[in-house]
Amino acid sequence: MSAIKLDKLPEKVILPLKQHDGIACAPLVKKGEEVVIGQKIGDCEGSDLAYVHSPYCGTVESVVEMPNPSGKRVLSVIINPLECADSVDFVPEKDASPSRLLEIIKEAGIVEYYQKPTYLALKPGERIDTLIMNATFPLIANAYLDSLDKVLEGFRLMLEAGGISRGAIVIRADDKESIKAFKNAKVDGKPLIVAPIIGKRHADYYFEDSEDEIIVLAGGKITYTPTMMNLLSGDVMGRKIPLGYKPADVHVAVCGVKSAKAVYDAVYEGKPYLENVITVSGAVNRPGSVLVKFGTPIKDVVEACGGYKGEPGKVIINGTRVGVAIYSDESPVAKDTTGIVVQTKDEVLRDVSSACIHCARCVDICPMNLLPGRIAVMADQGMYEKCGEYYALSCIECGDCAAVCPAKKHLVQLIRFSKLQLLEMCAETEPAEVTE
Amino acid sequence: MTTFTVSPPPHRRSKISIKTLMWGRVAALVPISLAAIYFFGFAALGNIAASILGAVIIEFAIEKAFKYELTILDGNAVYIGLLLALICPPTLPAWMIFLAAMFAVGIGKHAFGGIGSYVFHPALAAWVFLSLSWAQDMLPGTTPITSSFSDMMLETGAGFLGEVSPILVLLTGVALIAMKLVEWRIPVTYFLTTVILATLLGDPLSYVITGTFLLGVLFFATETVTTPVTKNGRIIYGILCGVLTVLYGYFSGNYVWGTLYALLLSNAIAPYIEVNTLPKPVGGVAHE
Ligand code: SF4
Ligand code: SF4
Repeated sequence: MSAIKLDKLPEKVILPLKQHDGIACAPLVKKGEEVVIGQKIGDCEGSDLAYVHSPYCGTVESVVEMPNPSGKRVLSVIINPLECADSVDFVPEKDASPSRLLEIIKEAGIVEYYQKPTYLALKPGERIDTLIMNATFPLIANAYLDSLDKVLEGFRLMLEAGGISRGAIVIRADDKESIKAFKNAKVDGKPLIVAPIIGKRHADYYFEDSEDEIIVLAGGKITYTPTMMNLLSGDVMGRKIPLGYKPADVHVAVCGVKSAKAVYDAVYEGKPYLENVITVSGAVNRPGSVLVKFGTPIKDVVEACGGYKGEPGKVIINGTRVGVAIYSDESPVAKDTTGIVVQTKDEVLRDVSSACIHCARCVDICPMNLLPGRIAVMADQGMYEKCGEYYALSCIECGDCAAVCPAKKHLVQLIRFSKLQLLEMCAETEPAEVTE
Repeated sequence: MTTFTVSPPPHRRSKISIKTLMWGRVAALVPISLAAIYFFGFAALGNIAASILGAVIIEFAIEKAFKYELTILDGNAVYIGLLLALICPPTLPAWMIFLAAMFAVGIGKHAFGGIGSYVFHPALAAWVFLSLSWAQDMLPGTTPITSSFSDMMLETGAGFLGEVSPILVLLTGVALIAMKLVEWRIPVTYFLTTVILATLLGDPLSYVITGTFLLGVLFFATETVTTPVTKNGRIIYGILCGVLTVLYGYFSGNYVWGTLYALLLSNAIAPYIEVNTLPKPVGGVAHE
């Protein structure tokens, strides 16, 4: 299944100068200036940065604060795009050294699906022995299967750039399309190994028996969302990560499918990070995956999907579990946008929460093995220390508990609140330091 | 421009609500209630009606008096009333059960803080209230013995309403589990523990597996408000119910009472089981 493409030029393009959870860029262009495709329009200094480039050519209408998908207002460059293909000179660099590769990745402004710039994800400072590619979003993974060889090459380049010796690609065990495509794919002329993760057979088990640099693992039926980093590393590598640690602490780095393709484009075509595949689902006429240039307003994306079906009531960015409902479909797609869900007026939830009936549904579904209902009650009563004793800090805010709760309690918000309070308390008493 | 709703996540939830769970349970009790009416006749119908009425009226009165939101439509009061009628003999005067149902919802439920807060199952609490106040009237005319399959279908020795057809209780109860409206851990462990222990002690199962016992396993023990939420806690709770049922049943020879007293005691112990079975989060915890 290949991705839908937008054939119409949007009226207006909004490029937020901050498209990931790092530092914001400063604009390099002014009102009235002409920009071409690939031109760097946002520059920044610091450690957690992602430069912003224009995917369109046109005239800068203004540089103002605009709503962005996260629901906040962010300084953005507004461009009136033109039908033109003028671009900066894209210079491919095929035989770059690892450090140069990292530089190219940084220059291209590539960002991971979990908000970290890719160059930092690949070289976090800790020793990394395995790079995991999270391909467990079936719709996204499938949309990239057409250019699988590019994704694989990009992945290989990432290993090289980070000086990482092994790469494990994780797909869902029920994603037949991806499994088939990976089985037919070749790296260095050799077919890829596609192996299941069962019991104690984790990535290390398969790497031991094989010479390959890259293997594919079919995990469970879990889609590992950005908050499930530790769970992903634990499940794939068999290396459990206690609270307060991150994958890098057990020598694991994580990347996405999109960034691998972007790395390929950056190195082999000299292109910065300009576009992405996102999924569009719910009340639109032709749901599916769409290849979208950053800055394109959501309403144009919806139009490419056949427009709204029925009367739209809610537009949600990045999933119904924990995503943000936006107030205007003029908001643009940014680097950290993975999906759009549209709900009709009737589908919009209006239920009221009542008392917890201890049904334990939240307990049974929680991937972290917590007691969400209990933590929420204590958070409600302000007993934050108690929340800590019930391991509130381990919650990854996946939202599963709130989705199944028959009492319709706002479990995630309550737990998140207790986490904030707990972290504040920690900060007051002792510096939050993780020792091994 | 279209206006969009902005609200915190989740934006999609499971369709199951407290209402579904409660009315689902009520629906599961309809067949056995009909069987009871068929068998005991008008007396059973009167008791069921009086019990439900008492439960609903007091709920309405309390919620009105304290200006709470009316929750009668969530089915909880109806459910408590119906369940209470099923563990009483048909000979019980209707006004007594009416009062008892008021006690169940008024004291058993609301005095403890309403749905979600009661420690003892309100219907069980009301049953104790009846047994203490009017012990004579609560004595069943006969004691059920399910020695053959036909007894499971229609138990002519039924003492309580819910005992007339154990198989109906079993079928609808299992259906609730299959539909995932009731979780399996407690009923399965409770049932197995009782059967195994009773067999080991040499008590004939025909005394053990009665309608009341099955109601206890599938409906009372699975009352989520009065059970631990931890996974291991639920298993321990089920086993505890089983052990207590057999202990009482073995020494007194009465498994019907054994079931009800065991449940009452287990209700009291549930919070302690829960705090002692806190699960460790995936990945463990640093600094421990
Ligand atoms: S799912 Fe909701 S009602 Fe059930 S135990 Fe959890 S918080 Fe309570
Ligand atoms: S959001 Fe709920 S289900 Fe998810 S980890 Fe936190 S407590 Fe568990």
